[in-house]
Amino acid sequence: MKLPVIGIQRFLQVSSGLIILGLLVEIVSLLWFHPLSFVLFVFVGAILIGLGIVVYLASLVVAVSSPAENRG
Amino acid sequence: MTGPTGVLVALIVLTIVLAAVFLLRSSITGGITGKILAFVALCILPALCIDVGMSAHMQRSEQTRFCVSCHSMENYGKSLYVDDPKAIPAQHFQNHRVPPDMACYACHTDYTIYGPMKDKLKGMTRIYMQYVSTPPNPITIPGGFKNAQCLHCHAGARAFEENPVHTAIMSSLTANQLSCVSSGCHDTVHNASEVGHLKMWRPGQ
Repeated sequence: MKLPVIGIQRFLQVSSGLIILGLLVEIVSLLWFHPLSFVLFVFVGAILIGLGIVVYLASLVVAVSSPAENRG
Repeated sequence: MTGPTGVLVALIVLTIVLAAVFLLRSSITGGITGKILAFVALCILPALCIDVGMSAHMQRSEQTRFCVSCHSMENYGKSLYVDDPKAIPAQHFQNHRVPPDMACYACHTDYTIYGPMKDKLKGMTRIYMQYVSTPPNPITIPGGFKNAQCLHCHAGARAFEENPVHTAIMSSLTANQLSCVSSGCHDTVHNASEVGHLKMWRPGQ
């Protein structure tokens, strides 16, 4: 079975989207003074940011560069 | 919003701005500068935000007002204002024998390098009880209150060491065989269920 070819740019967009979402959650958790704010940060914010980092690192390994990038 | 939290929020905003560049124009990774920027914006800075954010949350959860923000802890917070010279937590809080803004944390950690993290993990079970299950009534400390929490400050203190009652049972106290808060000793602790009927101390009056 052939895996679908995914460009590095798509990976970066997904990664940055996840990181931005996670960071917005982190800001909310910092401004919200409540016991659940810690849970929100750890189980939503940190996981989203962590996933974003993993997707970025995965892009370095598995993504296919565009022909323009290969020429560069 | 000032201090460390303000710096952290500034760091988060910077990371969001840089990450947004790659969301909108991911083609800039074509050059070496873009690749380095991507590594910083999508790996280094976000990891830093998690690390500093965790520290900020940890420090914030050490504050008294954080502990008493939980509904189950409201009466325990009120018990710090009980006007009773025998009430151990109230006397420590009112006379600043512990930092008032960190009063709960001062007496309810194990004071080891892993103490705070271990306590936070225990705290997760309290959050589960508060929002999913039902908090026990009365609330008890698993394993009981350890004398080490008292001895952390009192051991070596002259008034404590020279007290003949303490001297006679010192080995039992240090071995945690006899609790400092056992009946007949310092047994007036958080009388949370009675705070509505007790005389309260009002600061500044």
